[in-house]
Amino acid sequence: MICCKECIDLLYDYIEGALDQNTTKSLEEHFQDCPPCIAFLNTYKSTTTLCRETLNQIEIPDEVRRTLQNFLKEHKTQQEKL
Amino acid sequence: MSFSQQKEDKEIEEALVRDLQAGNLEAYDKIAELYQKKIYGLSFNLVRNQMDAQDVTQEVLLTLFRKINTFQGKSAFSSWVYRITLNASYMKLRSKKKEPNISIDELLPSFNGAGFQQEKIQDWSGNTESLLFTNETREVIKKAVDLLPEKEKVVFLLRDVEGLSTEKVSEVLELTVPAVKSRLHRARLFLRKKLSGYFEEYNSRKGEA
Ligand SMILES: [Zn+2]
Repeated sequence: MICCKECIDLLYDYIEGALDQNTTKSLEEHFQDCPPCIAFLNTYKSTTTLCRETLNQIEIPDEVRRTLQNFLKEHKTQQEKL
Repeated sequence: MSFSQQKEDKEIEEALVRDLQAGNLEAYDKIAELYQKKIYGLSFNLVRNQMDAQDVTQEVLLTLFRKINTFQGKSAFSSWVYRITLNASYMKLRSKKKEPNISIDELLPSFNGAGFQQEKIQDWSGNTESLLFTNETREVIKKAVDLLPEKEKVVFLLRDVEGLSTEKVSEVLELTVPAVKSRLHRARLFLRKKLSGYFEEYNSRKGEA
């Protein structure tokens, strides 16, 4: 049977579905006997979801958007003069 | 992302590069439309400050326009955009005083001699829904990510937050795929540990109330 350390090392590839059948099988056998590793797997997955949902929602504030628009307009005018 | 979607994106990018290189000014607006949210979002996650992220975004746009003729198409255009954004963000950060990073190793899981879990692992994954949109949780998440060492942070932001593929991240950062995977895994372990501290404490607070 694989130990917890090996189990944690395999998590990344397990989630990606990148493990071969035998390794997947021994990992899942470990999960059956080891609630802490199941908890670890679940929270490992949740970590990514939580961080993504928090950090990729960043919108450009209106004032920044306006500044960028003006900046772009100015730059284009300069280029047109060249 | 589906294959046809990827193909379409690639065609849009290539047309845009051609227009830019030909000096077509309309392409500037398209660039801004397509990339400014990505540029701003990534730089904001690195510099954590509206003014600085705005500066970085302007600088990146300008670099894109000015350096477009040096873009040779060896990598995807978007990879080039990400790389310029990272460089500009790091330049910005370098001009500021930085808090020293904590060592990531202290937060990696610990095992006993036989390789079994040593700490108690609570499963808080089931009750994050209600917590997700509180400001407190958001702040905790941002702070945890800010604490990541630079090497791990950038991989985490590109892959898990921006949603790029492992291959694409390796192209942007000029790293091997195994290196990307190992940094990402370490970043996730570090963040899991940080968030665990918060959620476990939150659950016990709720239990007492
Ligand atoms: Zn275990």
